[in-house]
Amino acid sequence: MPIKFFRAGHALAGPIIQIKYPMKTTIYAILLTILGACNSNDSDYVALEDNKELSVTVPSNFPPMVYNVEGNPPTKHGFELGKKLFYDGKLSANGFISCGFCHEQRFSFTHHGHQFSHGIDDKEGTRNTPSLANMAFFSEFAWDGATNHLDLFPIIPITNEVEMGETMTSVLEKLKADSQYRQAFDAAFEEGGVNHENFLKAIAQFMVMMVSYNSKYDKYVRNEDDVTLTEQELIGLNIFQNKCASCHTTDLFSDGSFRNNGLPPNPKINDLGRAEVSGSTNDNYKFKVPSLRNVALTAPYMHDGRFGSLESVLNFYQNGVQDSPTLDPLLKNGDTLGIPLTNNEKQALIAFLKTLTDEEFINDERFAEY
Amino acid sequence: MKSIYKISVLIFLTTMLASCSDDDGTMELSGTGIVKIEFDNSVSGDDLILGSSYTNSQNESLTIERLNYIVSNFRLTDKDGNVFTYPKEAGYFITSEENGETEVVLMDVPAGRYTSLTFGIGVDQEKYLLGAEGQGDLLTKAESTNMMWSWQAGYKFLNFEGTFTSSTVTEATNFKIHMGSHGSSLDNYKETTLSLGSEAIVSEEMSPIIHLVANAGNILDGQNKISLSEQAVIMVSEEKSPKIAINTSGMFTVDHIHNGSGDAH
Repeated sequence: MPIKFFRAGHALAGPIIQIKYPMKTTIYAILLTILGACNSNDSDYVALEDNKELSVTVPSNFPPMVYNVEGNPPTKHGFELGKKLFYDGKLSANGFISCGFCHEQRFSFTHHGHQFSHGIDDKEGTRNTPSLANMAFFSEFAWDGATNHLDLFPIIPITNEVEMGETMTSVLEKLKADSQYRQAFDAAFEEGGVNHENFLKAIAQFMVMMVSYNSKYDKYVRNEDDVTLTEQELIGLNIFQNKCASCHTTDLFSDGSFRNNGLPPNPKINDLGRAEVSGSTNDNYKFKVPSLRNVALTAPYMHDGRFGSLESVLNFYQNGVQDSPTLDPLLKNGDTLGIPLTNNEKQALIAFLKTLTDEEFINDERFAEY
Repeated sequence: MKSIYKISVLIFLTTMLASCSDDDGTMELSGTGIVKIEFDNSVSGDDLILGSSYTNSQNESLTIERLNYIVSNFRLTDKDGNVFTYPKEAGYFITSEENGETEVVLMDVPAGRYTSLTFGIGVDQEKYLLGAEGQGDLLTKAESTNMMWSWQAGYKFLNFEGTFTSSTVTEATNFKIHMGSHGSSLDNYKETTLSLGSEAIVSEEMSPIIHLVANAGNILDGQNKISLSEQAVIMVSEEKSPKIAINTSGMFTVDHIHNGSGDAH
């Protein structure tokens, strides 16, 4: 076990350190052995040996996982700690807003019925809460790609003054003052302790395990349980593949890229999207292509939650796409903007999109708050 | 007699070798030592004093209130081209004028006569993409020194703030220069290599201090001219941020080196 911990993720340069590392590892191995020996008598202590590694699901119909699981392998206690943190209001300034407040499991970890994320003191953000399903398969996070590593994502909502309004340092102080947390951190990580690294690793472990892969559609494409799609759903799938799948690619239903889909900017907000991160006017009004998994559950839609139904979304792609210098070329065909769709096609598409709902995922007790 | 002859030849040869070595200045250095690097913040030859004003070549008068920057990935090279690379997991330092943290201490540097120093300004993508494990306590330090860029979930490489006036901006106006990488789309990490001019000698007994001067005037008024009158808050600019990164990496010069026990400046 100790060897595994030290192997992870360090790029070493220079001969000196190459000598140092094995020594350090050996010392830790000895220390752990001593600690282990002491603690075997203490019944309250959760021995590290009990902290078994959890298996991470990589469905056969998915692209490879992006997250480096070897660098932070989810374990029983690491996952449980991540879950405890995820549902703890202590992560916010007023003690009430947890991650799970806006990311509700039954809506595939989105904030159903809320156009914008709500934060402390009734403050409101400017973007709609995105789903957390299958994050380990993506390389950019948040609507604008404000981070390209899943581990570092939680910093954004925690420190955002209209979301959780905290500082990481203050969160860690609160956790350090709590003996349950001190114990949980020590049980979860070989180099225990309440610190930034372990905090972010634990939440990442919880998110990495959130794989949604058992919808009707998945079972159909994997030929499981004799699941078939109805005629209308199959027509919808066919339309989807012809008209939607150039952006909503693979069985993740997103290529993870940033695109301007022609939504008229809300003049009250004028959210520039990706350009706020890149500083490039070429990225104006571009947002990450969202996955469509569980899309029937994740209303309202778009980065600003402006559409209340899938019908409205499809109507927008049919009639509402607005031209601008950064409009995605795939939505512009000569003078024609958007995606041509008939009413029957829209009905079929919605029937198909509903097959992406994964009841097992939204009811999975491993992720449940209570 | 024969053996005495042999021994005397040996003694002679040994003496010769030893004396040759002395002449070359390559006296055997052994063990490891500490290298301290002082980042002496200044403005165009004047000492940087927070709250004082400095006028630059663009006729803008800056009152600097904050100058923090991250330095990283230190490498020392000797005259034969041998490179010592400081361990990456311990290789990131936040310097802060307001906190008086302007010295970087490199531990366990192998004995040698070093003639040049290379380091980075900021945090490279390789480090960032190590995720939680790779950041260690750098995130904690960054947050406590206003160097965490929370909405980018990353680091400010440079935090340069204060007020300014110019011919067109006559009221003292806040300026804020925050420079870092722009997510995955623009990498503003830059490295600089400085010739030490003389040797920094490291051994069990020798721990040198390399005294650098950082000319904060260079940040806006260096190779690239950045006008605060035109834009006083620059955080994520595809055009200006890389220019500021280049100016910042060019603000360092070696002033002098103290060779010795490492105690006295």
